[in-house]
Amino acid sequence: MALKANMKILVIDDMATMRKIIKNMLGQIGFTNITEADDGATGLPMIESAQESGEPYEFIVSDWNMPQMTGLELLKTLRANDTYKALPFLMITAEAEQGNVVIAVKAGVSNFIVKPFSAQVLKEKIDKIFNK
Amino acid sequence: MSNANFLEFSKPFIEAAKNVFETMVFTKLDPGKPSVKKNNSSKGDVSAVLGLSGVLTKEGAEKKYRAMLVISFPYDTYIKVAGAMLMETYTEFNEEIRDVGGEICNMIMGNAKRDLGGLGYTSDMAIPSIIEGPSHTIKYPEGTTVIIIPMKSAHGEMFLELCYAEGTD
Repeated sequence: MALKANMKILVIDDMATMRKIIKNMLGQIGFTNITEADDGATGLPMIESAQESGEPYEFIVSDWNMPQMTGLELLKTLRANDTYKALPFLMITAEAEQGNVVIAVKAGVSNFIVKPFSAQVLKEKIDKIFNK
Repeated sequence: MSNANFLEFSKPFIEAAKNVFETMVFTKLDPGKPSVKKNNSSKGDVSAVLGLSGVLTKEGAEKKYRAMLVISFPYDTYIKVAGAMLMETYTEFNEEIRDVGGEICNMIMGNAKRDLGGLGYTSDMAIPSIIEGPSHTIKYPEGTTVIIIPMKSAHGEMFLELCYAEGTD
């Protein structure tokens, strides 16, 4: 399946630097419709209201460690709701420990990326998620 | 307190720093000769600071340890590093690039944690902070030894500092 350039993507990270880097990389890959949130707690209502408005997010890229609602909590909240069971969710983390991967996979993550990463690695992960 | 395992502890940070700069800042780091730092005055104008603590299990014995990672950048290096990472051109230190150093520290620490785990360390990372201003003071955890390693890059020089002590509460 070819990915649409205007696929609606939400990038969630508490660090403005990382949001900008991820947005730049997604732009390099060819995506044009990217919105940002600074925490799981601000991202969740954005996902819900986009769904209600009939223009739902099609892909979530979220950091793991965030102060109010972590990426893992957000993922679990989404997966507990039938509407978002299959919403593609890429988790980003600074911590390279294997245990984290297992936890995220159990919670239903679509794929997982450890910082630092290049645009090429991000593209490969996205291809894997959408070409399953 | 002891720093018997400091050398072994420090290696994962050097490797992680090289990896982070090559992947996210698109520059190679060239580490210089490490030396022991005797004062608490920064070598750079912007310092990103991140604490780490946990337990080292070695040869059947458990010891608490405390550590801190500092990357101190002259303004010129910081601005160029931020520009390379964010694909923008900056001419001065500002709020937009303030958390760049913290994110770099986060990534280095996160990567180093995996290798530290293999050496017997459990580790809890703190939240990074940024100190800015010429010759600012860095508060190192009490009783720790501080080593400083100059790092050369295409964006200029910076200083990686690590402090470490075992047997602390």
